[in-house]
Amino acid sequence: MTEKKQKINLSITNPKVFEVVKMVISILIALAITLVILFMISDNPVRAIVTILTGPLTKRRYIGSVIESFIPYAFSGLAAGVLFKSGAFNLGGEGIFIISGVSIAAVACNQLTTSGVLHPILCFLAAIVTGGILMIIPSFLKAKFGTNEMVVSLMLNSIYSGVAMFIIRKFLLTTTTSTIGSRDYFKTAKIGYIFEPLRISPCLILLIITTIVMYLIMFKSRLGYQIRLAGTNPKFAEYSGISAFKLSIVTAVIAGILCGMGASCQLLTQTSFYLPEQSLVGIGFSGMLLSMLGRNNPIGIVVAAFLIKYLEQGTSILYFVDRAVPSEIVAIVEGIVILLISSQYFLRGFREKKLLKEGLEKDAK
Amino acid sequence: MQSSLFSLSFLVTVVRLATPILFAAIASFIAASTGIVNIAIESIMTFGALAGILGSYLTQNAWAGMLIGLVVGICTALLIALFSMRLGASPILIGIALNTFADSLAIFVLYQLAGEKGTSASLPTPTLGVLNIPVIKDIPILGQLLSGHYILTYVCWIVLILLFILIYKTPLGMRMRACGLNANAARTAGINVERLQVFSLVLSGLFAALGGMYLSLNYLRIFSKSMVAGQGWMGIAANGIASGNYGVLLLSAVIFAAFRAVSIIFSSSTVFPVDLVSAIPYFAVFCFVTIASVINYYRIKSGKVEEQ
Repeated sequence: MTEKKQKINLSITNPKVFEVVKMVISILIALAITLVILFMISDNPVRAIVTILTGPLTKRRYIGSVIESFIPYAFSGLAAGVLFKSGAFNLGGEGIFIISGVSIAAVACNQLTTSGVLHPILCFLAAIVTGGILMIIPSFLKAKFGTNEMVVSLMLNSIYSGVAMFIIRKFLLTTTTSTIGSRDYFKTAKIGYIFEPLRISPCLILLIITTIVMYLIMFKSRLGYQIRLAGTNPKFAEYSGISAFKLSIVTAVIAGILCGMGASCQLLTQTSFYLPEQSLVGIGFSGMLLSMLGRNNPIGIVVAAFLIKYLEQGTSILYFVDRAVPSEIVAIVEGIVILLISSQYFLRGFREKKLLKEGLEKDAK
Repeated sequence: MQSSLFSLSFLVTVVRLATPILFAAIASFIAASTGIVNIAIESIMTFGALAGILGSYLTQNAWAGMLIGLVVGICTALLIALFSMRLGASPILIGIALNTFADSLAIFVLYQLAGEKGTSASLPTPTLGVLNIPVIKDIPILGQLLSGHYILTYVCWIVLILLFILIYKTPLGMRMRACGLNANAARTAGINVERLQVFSLVLSGLFAALGGMYLSLNYLRIFSKSMVAGQGWMGIAANGIASGNYGVLLLSAVIFAAFRAVSIIFSSSTVFPVDLVSAIPYFAVFCFVTIASVINYYRIKSGKVEEQ
């Protein structure tokens, strides 16, 4: 017991530190490229970058908008994260968001209950059940028959958006305006704010709880271990007695539930009606990028979602003063960071040199 | 209604709609032949379509625009090769990332040049026209089927033939297929697998860019956002169904195009709900891919074919 407690290794040779360093360098490279682009397109690039980075903090309403709008994206990212972590490339999140929106609208547009607490919960349940069931289809086909889940899930996305439009037009169409969307919800279905100025709603609490639960599932539970094992080495997982079939169904259900939650948060706080062609479009796909940004770690994903929404808010503030910079620039930053951090060998040579040097020093002692 | 489904003009529509899907299908096929999974076809089509239009606008020459589009397609393919083969990123993740932010990037570039986010309609762009083949165009039915199509449709047909010769009739093609079947065996036989894989990815990018440019420079004559609309994925689906069979590949691509044509015809009538009609081609692809995999599953199970 004379041995000293081992000092925490803070040099780059520690894989976790390396991961962080890599992330920071990737972000810096992306920002540098963005700066170059800004210098090319904007008359006042310094103001542009300052506005993007600090703009959302200047007004309470801006940061409130970030807090409100990042929630569904975070849920979508969590869903994609579970699927990717298990090695499933089920890209069905987009369609699940859109089709579970229909369930939400169906429940919210009917006065099923007069309770302002029960009604949103019923909407959530409807969305979760829809999402959980429909997300299974691509994963089931992949696990059972070896179908190309990417193609199948993308085709289902297009099918679902057609079906969503059909159902809305047939059963829930609004009569007050000419847009194709659902009627206004009953007031009881809307989720109010807990803290109005920062637009903090119960959804934020739900997101925090869900993130913690997902973290615990992924890293502290048997199921999470199986999911991670199946993702890194499916053959080994199979041989150690993990049923790949069961696992892929379970992950799909979890992902579907998360998508349903995200859709509910988006539809019950931010709008009072459902427009299938606008309200939820793009959230499912963004979730996949967020999951890559967060390295499939639930906490990383939620942080990434917040940062991306923050940058988007910054660019939309900038757009008022500088029309040359569209909000799509955030996607460029996002794309560069994703490409760099998903590259295993990026900066690896640097780390290996360091490891070698340390090893030699140890030998010398 | 009935007549339009079984008329000559329906077949002509199928020929028109088949071109981009065929390009996407061979783009997926050539990459898969050396064992590379290229799922970024959708995004390369978008980039190619945009670069073709912008190149044509900047040079005021449609052919120069096409050249620029091809260069962009090749560069995107090389980018995928760089990240997946040199930097060790998963090609599937790279593909998903590219596909997801392709539209945003296209909108960004378009906005800088055209000042609009949706389409390139405000840019005066020379585009490629149609080709009337002198003698054949006067033959009654065959003339309509074979003549008067867009130029890139003919390019597509030529490429289809050349690709068949390359893959099945040349030593190079045999080596490429060897890489796809068993990369280690190919390496042992002295084949430079990585070089052939990069070559096939470059060809894949080239074909996908041509498919995109067919849409922008030739068929619609403008670039509009999300104009590719899943056609790249239909090509990937066709390749999945074909599992290495060139004839099945082309046939599935044409069948998908036929379903798109059906959907277009149905959507002009008021009998069917328009929202469901628009989903017909995607539903068809879904069914075909699923059925093909189920059949394959039972064939493997009954021991008729070896699992790869």
